[in-house]
Amino acid sequence: MPDDATRSSRLLRSLSFRNISALYIFAALFVIFALWVPDTFLTSTNFRTLLDNQALTAIVAVGLVLALSAGLFNLAVGAEVGFASILVAYLLSKQDMGIAPAIALTVVAGGLVGIVSGLLVVHARIDSFIATLGMSSVLLAGVAWVSSGQQILDLGASFQKVGTGQIVGITYPVYIMAVLGLIVWYVLERTPAGRRIYATGGNIEAARLAGVRTGRVIILSLAGCGVLAAIAGLLATSRLATGDPTTGPSYLLPAFAAAFLGSTQFRGGRYNVAGTIVAAYVLATGVKGLQLAGAPIWIPDLFNGVALLLAVGLSKYQRTAGRASAIGRMIGRDRAGRRPAAADPAAP
Amino acid sequence: MSAPLLRVRGLSKSFPGLRALDDVELEVASGEVLAVVGQNGSGKSTLVKILAGLHDPDPGAEIEVRGADGTILTGAEAQSELHFIHQDLGLIPMLSTVENLDLGRAHRSFGLAPAARRAETRRARELIARFGASFDVTQPLAMLSAAERAIVAIARALDGWQRDDHVLVLDEPTAALHGDEVGRLFEAVRHVAARGAGVIFISHRLDEVMDIADRVVALRDGRVVADIRAGDFDRAALVHMIVGRELTEARVERTGRRGAPVLRVDGLSGGTVAEFDAEVRAGEIVGITGLLGSGREHVAGLVFGAVRRDRGTVRVGSADLLGGSPRVAVARDVAFVPADRRAQGAVMTMNVRENLTLPRLRPLRRLMGRLDGRAERAESDRWVGEVGLRPAEPERRMDLFSGGNQQKVVLAKWLRNEPSVLLLDEPTQGVDVGAKASIYELVARAADKGAGVVISSSDTKELALLCDRVIVMRDGSVVAELSRDELTEARMVQASLGGSDAETLHPDETEGRHAR
Repeated sequence: MPDDATRSSRLLRSLSFRNISALYIFAALFVIFALWVPDTFLTSTNFRTLLDNQALTAIVAVGLVLALSAGLFNLAVGAEVGFASILVAYLLSKQDMGIAPAIALTVVAGGLVGIVSGLLVVHARIDSFIATLGMSSVLLAGVAWVSSGQQILDLGASFQKVGTGQIVGITYPVYIMAVLGLIVWYVLERTPAGRRIYATGGNIEAARLAGVRTGRVIILSLAGCGVLAAIAGLLATSRLATGDPTTGPSYLLPAFAAAFLGSTQFRGGRYNVAGTIVAAYVLATGVKGLQLAGAPIWIPDLFNGVALLLAVGLSKYQRTAGRASAIGRMIGRDRAGRRPAAADPAAP
Repeated sequence: MSAPLLRVRGLSKSFPGLRALDDVELEVASGEVLAVVGQNGSGKSTLVKILAGLHDPDPGAEIEVRGADGTILTGAEAQSELHFIHQDLGLIPMLSTVENLDLGRAHRSFGLAPAARRAETRRARELIARFGASFDVTQPLAMLSAAERAIVAIARALDGWQRDDHVLVLDEPTAALHGDEVGRLFEAVRHVAARGAGVIFISHRLDEVMDIADRVVALRDGRVVADIRAGDFDRAALVHMIVGRELTEARVERTGRRGAPVLRVDGLSGGTVAEFDAEVRAGEIVGITGLLGSGREHVAGLVFGAVRRDRGTVRVGSADLLGGSPRVAVARDVAFVPADRRAQGAVMTMNVRENLTLPRLRPLRRLMGRLDGRAERAESDRWVGEVGLRPAEPERRMDLFSGGNQQKVVLAKWLRNEPSVLLLDEPTQGVDVGAKASIYELVARAADKGAGVVISSSDTKELALLCDRVIVMRDGSVVAELSRDELTEARMVQASLGGSDAETLHPDETEGRHAR
């Protein structure tokens, strides 16, 4: 039973830089830009656009959390966004479908794409890295085929409303992101299903021997990830009322950066929804502030890339400190499970 | 003869709570093959690791090697004069013999100069010819036989030798070899020894030891219990040296009674198992032993469905267990504690509580699929107490516990299911003495509560302590079944090693010849 000492040490640990570094970084960025470019940075419009702009990336990143927790790389996630954004535009304009059925069909298609990836991993025994890399290319080909490489324009004001409507000054995508994040959080942290996902990602063989249907876990995780990517994709199309065949791939890196950086937050190395959403916004704040300060156009790519590398580096550092590291396990997969046993049972 | 090639004196090694080696002395002369024998945990592998420099010995140990000019070398200099071939050989199967030999060699210009293909091929052929072997040296190693691969490993170890009288240490080199392949390997070893090398041969296959060794050193509980010349002993004496006196330790107390059969296995085959039949009753503890490769290591996994089943039926209670599905087995109250904890037994990145409840989360599920956190914590607290986990922290990650405590958790997660059949594979591998005792007690308690228990183990002492009867396997089949009153370590070792029945060991016969 935790006495006061361990409780306070637990509180200290949960406030430690290592555990919630993203929040400290966020605070630091906030102060820096507030002093640097106060006129533009410290405006409610700025934060509203920031919240709105980053909602889609956050949705994709939350989808990735689902896949990564199950031990799966989903490199097709960007292409899945792109495929959904073109598909919904195609259904609306070329098929004259109603908004609701078009959205429903797009979401289902996103789930199916995930299921196909999952089947490739489980039944064809293709490593998820390769399976989704191949899938990604196939989807991009599909995008080019459906759109003939052209934008699909004029999808109508009522469809545009889906991605731009507001409640109390905050756009729908932010609410949608919050709801989806809550659902995924609930599944991962509060249900047996989530426990099985983490177990599959942690040690698939041990999970299988404990009676977990690991094949099903893999397929459903990728399906869930596909659904979230599809929602992000159709929102992207809705915001511009235009299906843009080049949208998708740009989501891949920021989403991975957010999920990886997020895994270093709150849960001691486990991929988790809260950390990921926070990380997505920390990254966006940095990018936004630099843009407002007049940084050149290539800054977002640089910032996200460096952040991803730092997140991975940070997790390596954590591993040497004897802490959890989901990323380290992913990256150094050959070493997974072969790390030396922690010798000192009295270590904190 | 001049000074020995290798002389070890006063070598001890202590780990926390365990004295792995105790004042070990041994010598190897030029041209000699010295066999080091002993059971699992006798200190053989610790000895090899110290010689290889992977562990430091306790202070006071002397390890001396005779150098080229007759001077005595110690420390790091001595280590560089010792050559090792480990069980896994350390070769790269995708590359050819030529390429594997090349890897061990120093290169000029950062290894970017083009390789002299033809010259290297010729050299490789000459090198393996020194061991009386000839095979295609340009083939990937994966295409060669196990014995040929072992020869490549020896050739590589010897490749850089400046002279012939080095020390070569072979650590269980025959584990993966078949009968005639062993012969070829021995041929190669004799070649090396004949040229003046000193060979240390670590093995627990007694036939081989009898075949190749000039001298035998037996280790037991970290001590040298015998150091004798070949010809001065026979097989039975060797068994006795390894096993030592029969245990006087009390067997684990048991209260339960035998019930109806709970597990019935017919014609099971798959993995290294060719044919296995057995029946286990409720409350019974049945051991399975045998050498590595005898089938012993796959029986439990086959029954559970963790290893692919080729043939045979497994019945639990009144239902057939179809092969290949651990899930079905779990649903039928079958539990399986695998040998490899890290790879199969537990999810090391999750905490104890999460591991404990993983096999059966359903009773903790509430409305909307919610997991009842409070009930789960209560249950994990209870099991942490039940198995005596140290430290008693259910929220701590698995990989931060010692091996013994990890194993307690693995056992607890299955005991929580109240299994009708409990399968254990090497349950105390890498487990310290204290945790061992509690694991035995937990297993005995499970049996008393009515589980049919199957323990597959290479630790004969453990089986003698725990089991009601023991099934001995060799070459994939059952060769003996020992009931409780004939259950001695010597008989288990004897039966798993094989040999003619006339050699059956009678302790009183060998007592007189027992060396030292």
